[in-house]
Amino acid sequence: MRKKYYNMVEDMKKIRVFCRIRPVNRNEAAQGGVIVVDKIDEFSVTIDTPRGQREFQFDKVFSAEASQEDLFHDTNLIQSAIDGYNVCIFAYGQTGSGKTFTMVGDKEQKNPGLMPRSFNAIFDIIRENSSKFDFKVSAYMLELYNDRLQDLFVSPAGEAHAQPQSHGQARRVEIKRNRKGVVFAQGAETKEASSAQELYALFQQACANRHISATMNVESSRSHLIVGIRVESKNLTNGSVSTGKLSLVDLAGSERAAKTGAKDHQLKEANSINKSLSALGDVISALSAELPHVPYRNSKLYATRVKAITNNAQRNVESKEIAQLKEVIMKLKSGQSVEDVDV
Amino acid sequence: MASVNSDEWRAVCDKFTNAQNLTEVESRNDPENDPFRSKYKARELLREIYCSLKSFEAGEGEEESGGESGEQRPTEQPVDGQREDGQGISGDSPAGMRAAKLGAVEYYLGVNHVDTEELSAGQEHLMNCMKLLDRCRVSSENVSLFIHVRNQLGILWAGRDETEMAQGFLETAESNYQRYMKEDGSPPIDMTEYFTSEENLLTHQERTKRFELAYTHTMYYLAQVYQNLGETERAATYCHSTLQRQLQLNQFNPMEWALNAATLSQYYITKGRYMEGRHCLSAATVISGLAGEVPSEAAAQESETESERREHLRQKRAEIARCWIKYCLNLLQDSKKLLEDNIGELDTDRQDELKRARRREEEEEEKGRKSALLFGSEDTFDSIASLEEKVLCLFPLDFTEARSVFLVGQNYVTQAKEYFQMDGYVTDHIEILQDHSSLFRALAFFEEDLERRCKMHKRRVDMLEPICNDLNSQYYLLIRRQLMFELAETYSEMMDLKLTLANRQADTQSLDNHTIKKFNSLCSASAKYFQMFLDSLCSPEGKFPEILEEEVLRPALVARFRVARLHSRLISSVPPVQLENLNRSLENYKYVVQYCEAHPEAAAAAETELELSKEMVGLLPLKINRLKARMAANN
Repeated sequence: MRKKYYNMVEDMKKIRVFCRIRPVNRNEAAQGGVIVVDKIDEFSVTIDTPRGQREFQFDKVFSAEASQEDLFHDTNLIQSAIDGYNVCIFAYGQTGSGKTFTMVGDKEQKNPGLMPRSFNAIFDIIRENSSKFDFKVSAYMLELYNDRLQDLFVSPAGEAHAQPQSHGQARRVEIKRNRKGVVFAQGAETKEASSAQELYALFQQACANRHISATMNVESSRSHLIVGIRVESKNLTNGSVSTGKLSLVDLAGSERAAKTGAKDHQLKEANSINKSLSALGDVISALSAELPHVPYRNSKLYATRVKAITNNAQRNVESKEIAQLKEVIMKLKSGQSVEDVDV
Repeated sequence: MASVNSDEWRAVCDKFTNAQNLTEVESRNDPENDPFRSKYKARELLREIYCSLKSFEAGEGEEESGGESGEQRPTEQPVDGQREDGQGISGDSPAGMRAAKLGAVEYYLGVNHVDTEELSAGQEHLMNCMKLLDRCRVSSENVSLFIHVRNQLGILWAGRDETEMAQGFLETAESNYQRYMKEDGSPPIDMTEYFTSEENLLTHQERTKRFELAYTHTMYYLAQVYQNLGETERAATYCHSTLQRQLQLNQFNPMEWALNAATLSQYYITKGRYMEGRHCLSAATVISGLAGEVPSEAAAQESETESERREHLRQKRAEIARCWIKYCLNLLQDSKKLLEDNIGELDTDRQDELKRARRREEEEEEKGRKSALLFGSEDTFDSIASLEEKVLCLFPLDFTEARSVFLVGQNYVTQAKEYFQMDGYVTDHIEILQDHSSLFRALAFFEEDLERRCKMHKRRVDMLEPICNDLNSQYYLLIRRQLMFELAETYSEMMDLKLTLANRQADTQSLDNHTIKKFNSLCSASAKYFQMFLDSLCSPEGKFPEILEEEVLRPALVARFRVARLHSRLISSVPPVQLENLNRSLENYKYVVQYCEAHPEAAAAAETELELSKEMVGLLPLKINRLKARMAANN
């Protein structure tokens, strides 16, 4: 099955997979972490695994030194989107691997990511072509969380006022296909923007409405973020209209890291009922976060167990050492000659 | 349905069969870009069936709400309006059957919409189904549909995070089932049978099987709902029921079932419910045996499938062995917690007390077993019971009992290691060794003879030391740290035991040279491993971290404290050496005090150690100065 799609993709060359390597962060440096990923050339990386070295091929590899600007330059498909094509960029990877940094950038925007750069590029191109085309830019922003699409332009507070009777009518977004065969998000609000700043402000508003639960990094979340920018351009000479779309998707992190610091209440987010009895194992292993042994190799809980270095947590029972030392101290303080007391 | 043309009726039945076929068989072949094609077709057919049924009714001129219709519950809220009273249309009356058939069509339409991701429409149909049935009394004609529709509504609401709504529907299904089984119990009509001809009706056996399967799902969904509500114990009970039913109804995959039961045992262990845990594990072992013989190595060489099967069976059985190890280990450790005094030694008074209390407990155990949910069918019941007899589920209270539990655990260690060999399963293998070491440690607590106790600790060292030194320090940092800490503590234990032994033998204060040497070597070994642990926290350049991260904070402070203590205990008659030892000791006590001053939040992680370190920082300098003075005087 995979091969079939791989060949389809190869033929079309419409999907490209890039790899970006993140530099070592403070935590990792402090613990003496070793870098196991190496960029061999523009298209390949090797990874050191406990079972030997493995090589992977990509359409392009960005090393840890590559900047946000470098990345944007090589993924710049904005022109295509304006020309009327649909362009989509996904960021995929483990939690903490840097997806949000790549897509959005840091909080202070000292190192803006693909999204803000795209917003700027859109309006730059629009400005350059303003004599020949009339442009209309609109955006929708959605969050996919727990199998539901949520419109991020609607604030949770606003929603709370709107129902409770109308469970069915809650602002739920459904995926539909229109007559032309184009897939769209029904029920999602689109807002227009006339500048990069406006677009970015919309984006910030949307982010404020997201479900965030801090797993490992403060900026990561458990939901997928989907940003769709529609650019409608009308040719002023002949009146023809074309619409292109740029979709930017920041996928939720896959939980596979050993040291996450995630507390067990995060795991309770899986609220949807498993329908098949074959998932009984998942249900049982979720009964407690402290199961002595989980006999499933692929369970979420198996991967995220946080193990302690020692069982020597504070207990009510004093260890012998402590008791002995207390005795020694008592002797010393009671005035016994300090030479006689064996410390 | 006397007036209905039998041809018309047959047409309806055919349509139904078609719809089922489209939904279950054809839909698997639907293309990727039109995944619901067959289901949409099925939907059309179901709608036609619905219309036909309605027109049959109109044709017969009977009203929908025939019989004694009681008050109707309000229909706006999606609440389960199941009537408790005996009112309502009789299930097997014509009106009742009509309601059931219409209800069934609504049910299938509901499921259809849910499958095609149109939840609101699905909900509407399912609610219609329920309302139709609510007008009837529960009977063998409709109870199966009763359960099914509520199961579906439960899933639907749970999918929307409305757990309490889901709970309502599922609990009603549960009580429906229980009441039906108590009052009637005959194999109920299955929903597919509403539209089948006489010849194709199901056997009683098949009806029962499907009905019971629906209820098993109710239990299973309730387990999840209770878990989402935070009622873990109830959830566990329902998981247990689900497992039990799977066995009783013979609807299970042996290995899968066994692993699930083994996992459930682990939950019981966390709650200290060893009787249930033992039962789960014994059942797991017995049922896993039903999965068949492990293919021999030779067979595995020849065929890929056999090789995979061999791998699969061996691995899963080894996993179950590991669950058993945890059982034995936790049982011993919990027992230790009950029996230990305030310095961690066995308290004989408490031991006597518990032994007296035990006699009463044994009787309780018998009663408990009968009321608890037992696994098994006729064939397996005995094998499960005989496995259970091999190991205690009550807390071992003396060495003999502890030893028996230990031996069972050790046996499973051997079993688990056979599969999880070092080469290929490093982490697993080491975890098993760690468990083995912990088993020894727990057993040592019960051993009265100090010499033998010491030997047990020596076994631990012999097991773990080579591994600790062999492991790659980059890939296995955490494991190495665990091992270092454990080795350090074990050497410390041995050191204390040697000293106690020596003091008992000699009637004088002084120790002979041999003993001193032995003592010092153990003492140094302990300090060495604590230090190794501390060194593992350093940066590649060898710098000790300024700030200790949360996971290493307490271990690091404790390690410093222990190194300090150990250095001060080294025995030497040579003053410069004594001085060196005391200085090292002071240095480490100081670190603890200074770190906690610089980082006040850290103090909570090692309160006692900090307190004592402060004392020693005050008292040690006196001793050091006296020693220096003496040294100067002698020169």
